[in-house]
Amino acid sequence: MNKAAGGGGGGGGPTAAAAAAAAQKQKTLLQRVDADVTNIVDNFNQLVNLARVNDPPVRNSQEAFQMEIRAARMVQAAESLRNLVSELKQTAMFSGFGSLNENVDRRIAEFNRLEEGSERLLERVGEQAAASLKELEAHYYSSVLRTSPSEGS
Amino acid sequence: MEENAKRNRVDLDRLPIKRLDAIDEAGNEQFPPDVSHEEKRLGMIRRIDFSNVVAENTDTRKKQKKSPKEAAPAPQPAWPWQGLVENLQLAHQELSIIIDLINTVEANDAVAVAGMQRPKQLPNEILSDLAVSAATKLQRLRNLGRYFKQSSKAMEQKVSKEARFYGSLIRLQQHWKVKRQRLLAAGPGSEGFTFDMLDNPADTTMISRPSPIGVVRVLHETAGLLAIQRPQRSCRSISIRYLGTNFSSKQKATGNIYGSDESPQADKKEALTDEDVNSWVKDTHSALREIHRSIFLEQVFDRVNRESYSPSPGINVTGMREDFLQLAIDPDTSICLCLVSSMNEDDIQMIDSRRHPQNGENGLTRPDSSASANTNEDNDSLKMNKFGVPNPVSLEIYLLHVFHKNFHVKVKERHFATRASVPGQALADSCGLSHFCKTVAHRIFSNKVLAEIECLVSRIPYLQLLSHPTWHSRTSSWSLSLKFPESIFHAGCLSKYSNIYDVKHLTRSQFHTKIVVKDDQVTVSGEGAPGILSSFRGISADVFSVSCYGCDLDDLPLVLLQQIAGQIIHWLHEEALVVGMKVSRDFLCLYFDVDQGDMLGLVAHVDPHDVDGCISWWLIMEDGLTEDGKFSREKGEYENRRFLGHLSLEALYSLLMDLVNLCSTTGSH
Repeated sequence: MNKAAGGGGGGGGPTAAAAAAAAQKQKTLLQRVDADVTNIVDNFNQLVNLARVNDPPVRNSQEAFQMEIRAARMVQAAESLRNLVSELKQTAMFSGFGSLNENVDRRIAEFNRLEEGSERLLERVGEQAAASLKELEAHYYSSVLRTSPSEGS
Repeated sequence: MEENAKRNRVDLDRLPIKRLDAIDEAGNEQFPPDVSHEEKRLGMIRRIDFSNVVAENTDTRKKQKKSPKEAAPAPQPAWPWQGLVENLQLAHQELSIIIDLINTVEANDAVAVAGMQRPKQLPNEILSDLAVSAATKLQRLRNLGRYFKQSSKAMEQKVSKEARFYGSLIRLQQHWKVKRQRLLAAGPGSEGFTFDMLDNPADTTMISRPSPIGVVRVLHETAGLLAIQRPQRSCRSISIRYLGTNFSSKQKATGNIYGSDESPQADKKEALTDEDVNSWVKDTHSALREIHRSIFLEQVFDRVNRESYSPSPGINVTGMREDFLQLAIDPDTSICLCLVSSMNEDDIQMIDSRRHPQNGENGLTRPDSSASANTNEDNDSLKMNKFGVPNPVSLEIYLLHVFHKNFHVKVKERHFATRASVPGQALADSCGLSHFCKTVAHRIFSNKVLAEIECLVSRIPYLQLLSHPTWHSRTSSWSLSLKFPESIFHAGCLSKYSNIYDVKHLTRSQFHTKIVVKDDQVTVSGEGAPGILSSFRGISADVFSVSCYGCDLDDLPLVLLQQIAGQIIHWLHEEALVVGMKVSRDFLCLYFDVDQGDMLGLVAHVDPHDVDGCISWWLIMEDGLTEDGKFSREKGEYENRRFLGHLSLEALYSLLMDLVNLCSTTGSH
């Protein structure tokens, strides 16, 4: 419906805005991924560079500090990537309206089927109960136990 | 030189360093003049000699320091500690020089260090330096590796936790409405997800009050399991109880509400397998279902409360409290509807924190209590069933059904403006509670009617009771069937009179009397028996006309007995006609024309309170002159009346056959 309205409005409207926002979001996400990956790669490069045994041993502690920083940055970038993944998961969960609707439809169909099944079952149970009652009543009223007192009287 | 000295093991001086004497202003170091090998050797020999080593070698030993420990074992002829004292003095001199230098440097007094050349390192020194720094670096890298390993482990855990959490959430999302609220995300352990349990938030008619338990918050447990924060008062259910008794609908239900909720994996937080997560999700799902059900029940109760405000037929509110409603169904019976918590607070706590080990204890104690409740309930139910009231459990189910149908389904089908509805259901649609109350009243009333009928049937052996399920809650129906024995002339009659008589006029072998109860109206309809009215008016009864009249509960047994006796009379009348007797019938009497003017009457006497059999038979001789028979004082009865007792149909038939003989013999006279 929105699409139609947007189409009528010459490209403006909520759909176009939503599409733009989505594109923007995608772009941002991609940028974040790039930044994180670059961060990891850069820091790893630095680490590898630092791994070389240098001539003046006096710089050892400085290098150690640098290494720690690089490693921490790498871990941080990885964590950021993980956050991004969970954000993506959330987005997939809450924005996948197609699949959500499909789910709802499936549930509705399932419930309808269940309802029908239950109703049929109830009907059958009722009918069976009625038939059994009828049979039992007939059996009881025609039984010797029932008719024998009549002989006495 | 020094190596030689070491090899000779005579040199006690461990500091064979070439000491600096002085540094001049140009930075040149001045060393003491070298001592030749010979001199040194000589000195050493002398030292071994221990004669006057100290005195002679003062110039060479000026730059040597001796530790007191090393000097100690040297034996001295005069005073053994002389050498030690001198060595200490020398060391003191050197130290004072160094302190002077340090002070000068600290005072920054014209100290200038000229370009010092780094002493050339030996190859082994270079190598060892390199080795040290390589080892240090290796250590650093190892530390880094450990750090990375830890981080990756933590991250793996986080990833698997998230996978578990989102997997659970996605699975639950297939069944429930999950919402994300960013504001809530600030809370500890919460991701800001909520389950929206209300069915139709847009429909204001459905929700009479905003339910506080409509929103269930999702908690992210430490092991990545999805837990829900159970709202207060979320486990409530409707209980229907008869006033003054414990006969309620809830005892049985509590047992299985949370039967599956004790999670087996509560203790093993570590190493969660897929099955554990599965069962966890299932538990959560069932908890959500409980909450959902509780919301529905609350809505139903609300709706019931609302409807009880508006006066409508059948609703008689006699008491009202919070979560409690008392309705009078009839003068003897009242039912109480209340919203009760289906589990106590401990249980709720237990569900909330399912990981505590005391769950098992709670779970164990519960069956005992429910068992004792069951025995109580059985007693009560036995007691109550004597009064013929329907089971509260079925009442509860029916109440829920009515309200579900009326409101939920109605809302769903609102767009069908002209919905074809069952006529009997139209009233029910207008007011669920009224329909419900009328149903309860009807069930109680119909049970009483059934009890009456069964009492009758148990006393009359040839009567059969058949139930006819009506599939309507406020209509009940039974029929009483009379099956007559086969006439011995039947077959013959059929062949003989088949040309003359319509088959219709042959005797019937079976009669039915139908009793229908609608709400509290009893209708008895039957064929074959003329009503009292027709007998008064002298209208000849049409055999197959169906008479139908209403009556109340007190009259019912009598009406039924009259109907049945009428049918028997009708049957005897027909049988008598078949065999060619002159008979006439008058309501419950059959008159045989025995002789000229003499009539023999077979009279049915009905008495609902007769425990031996409600229909008894009399034989009356009427000579046409006297109205009443003479009372014989000797026999204690009327002379012209004979009590025959409670006869079976076969006996009646044989009596008829006897009368045939009697009539034919008297006729021949």
